[in-house]
Amino acid sequence: MDRKRWWIVPTVLGLALVVALVWGYNEYSTKNELGVALENHYQRLFFDVKKHVENVQVNLSKAMLSESRDQNVLLLSQIMNEAYFAQDKLAQMPITHAETAKTEKFLNQVADYSYYLIQNHLKGEPLTNKQRETLANLQGNSATFNNELAKLQSELADKNFLLGSLNRRQSKKVREGNEKIFQTSLVSIEKNMAKTPELIYDGPFSDQMINRKPLGLEGDEVSKKEGERIAREFFGADRVQEITAFEEGKDIKEIRIPSYTFSIRPKNTSKELAVYMGVSKKGGKVVWMANARPVPKGKLSIKEAQDKALKYLKDKGFDSMEPNYYLKYDGTVLFNFVYKEGDVTIYPDLVKVKVALDNGEVVGFDASSYYLNHHMRNIPKVNITMEDARDKVKLDFEVNSTRLALIPKGNEEILCYEFKGKYRDGDYIVYINALDGSEEQILQIIKDENGTLTF
Amino acid sequence: MRGGNYLKKFTIMTMIFVLVFLSILMFYEPNKNFIESTSRYNLYAPQILYWGSRGQDVKNVQWQLVKWKYLIGKVDGIYGAETYRAVRRFQAKNGLAVDGVVGPKTAAALGITLRGTTTPASAQGINRKNDEYLLARAIHGEARGEPYIGKVAVGAVILNRVKSPKFPNTVAGVIYQPLAFTAVADGQINLTPGKDSIKAARDALNGWDPTYGSLYYWNPATATSKWIWSRKVTLKIGKHWFGL
Repeated sequence: MDRKRWWIVPTVLGLALVVALVWGYNEYSTKNELGVALENHYQRLFFDVKKHVENVQVNLSKAMLSESRDQNVLLLSQIMNEAYFAQDKLAQMPITHAETAKTEKFLNQVADYSYYLIQNHLKGEPLTNKQRETLANLQGNSATFNNELAKLQSELADKNFLLGSLNRRQSKKVREGNEKIFQTSLVSIEKNMAKTPELIYDGPFSDQMINRKPLGLEGDEVSKKEGERIAREFFGADRVQEITAFEEGKDIKEIRIPSYTFSIRPKNTSKELAVYMGVSKKGGKVVWMANARPVPKGKLSIKEAQDKALKYLKDKGFDSMEPNYYLKYDGTVLFNFVYKEGDVTIYPDLVKVKVALDNGEVVGFDASSYYLNHHMRNIPKVNITMEDARDKVKLDFEVNSTRLALIPKGNEEILCYEFKGKYRDGDYIVYINALDGSEEQILQIIKDENGTLTF
Repeated sequence: MRGGNYLKKFTIMTMIFVLVFLSILMFYEPNKNFIESTSRYNLYAPQILYWGSRGQDVKNVQWQLVKWKYLIGKVDGIYGAETYRAVRRFQAKNGLAVDGVVGPKTAAALGITLRGTTTPASAQGINRKNDEYLLARAIHGEARGEPYIGKVAVGAVILNRVKSPKFPNTVAGVIYQPLAFTAVADGQINLTPGKDSIKAARDALNGWDPTYGSLYYWNPATATSKWIWSRKVTLKIGKHWFGL
């Protein structure tokens, strides 16, 4: 009987083999399809980057030549678009950040700088000689960039190089060889980009915005020991079980607000629920505080929490702060307090306070933007009346409240009339320059049951 | 001889088992991914109210149910057991599908519109939740073993990159930049973030930055890139060094 069934085992094994082969082939072809799809995507990105950089280069040349303001605005807006596209696509390619950082910065700054020039044009300020020079410089840079890309492109085409292989397992030799070509050109592009002089203008990506130093800190450098004492006192010296400082690196001085950072263990709590604090080295001010304690559902109202926050600020030496928006999350409420000088709301001087709704304890504090921006200001006198400013706002915008406010714009601060109200059921804030009556900014407000966000 | 018989049976059973297993492998996976991605989407689709929902919409539903005496209890904006039973009673009485879920039909029968249709068209769908959740996932993938402040710090670095000209200009752009984060490359970013990570993401988005503007971080124990050590070193939080 057993002999008659000898075929069972080989048949089943054979079947299993067939199934395994089918399965394996299936996997293999899926893998290939995915590889090709990915490669096509990368190729497209590469060609696109090349095209966008070409457009930047050409339009920069035209903008330098053009004498017409309108033409210049059109060209600059195209440059802005193309540069952002190029940057966006470059950042999606499988290249390490180390090899593209400066190129990305160059493209972002070209876009940002164009936007700044557009604004100047619209204000009626023609290009200065210096700005033309900068444009020439940027043009030169984009030309070298474009050249290198062209070289790279033909080289890659010669070698039939697949971009996707940069992050795929491949025979090591082939990969290393290809990477070498790719990287040498990238490195030479990066080197050229490094030659771009610092761009001084008003925009979020300008070098002066990145490298700016805090204006609101005065006084001498405090020692670490002194910093520790300040942190203890800020939290309440009698509640501190243990305080330890974070390890610092050798370049700690280069951060935006050089500070000592401490971890405080309050009495009667476990080690995980520490309180963290940053104390500025200059002047010894507490820049931020965060309490990791989870907050259970509480019963405090927003008003009660706001009073606690105001009292806290007063205790810490912040006078004339005005609550603006709040946001409710994770059992806490976050208030935005803004400094008020006379009847002018100074938006850059912002302090955030987070209050736990279970017992009213302040579990978060952030004054970094206050210390970055706060200084003695000479607020100019308004040139136009509020009524005149109202006329500059759309007629059917339903105004609910009006006040004077100082808002940040690039590196400057502008005095504006602030009109809060409704338009077609949506909530907005419109800012009208109080000196020349131009519309400076519009913010859209999104409200829900947890608070307010501005966009 | 009987022993040999058993052996064969055992072999056959094993083979069949392997076959079944292989066929499951071949056809099961895509389906699972699909379910995962839709459930993630559901997290932020508030047009349907069900057990555990909260907010103004739930309050409106409860008001209506109390008014019509389906619900005897508090109007607290939390969709709990009582609200669930009241909704079922309401649905049974009004000839709706009895599922205890307030969808568009039940809402219409209750005479209310769910939010999302009441917000002005100009503000619809504008929120920070997508960024918040994506950031929370990135934090969870990269730093779930870190203390709270280490999580906020990783979130802050991502947001500092968004503001820096050297990096992409959106949260997703920074997180999904190729070769930037290991947790993105190995798929850990798709894990469901813990409560701590979500809290850290919110704090980072609201401006807390324990790194004072740092753009990089690395774990000295696992960092493989030599280049990263050429960065300007600022401070150490948890296991990570931060730098500019």
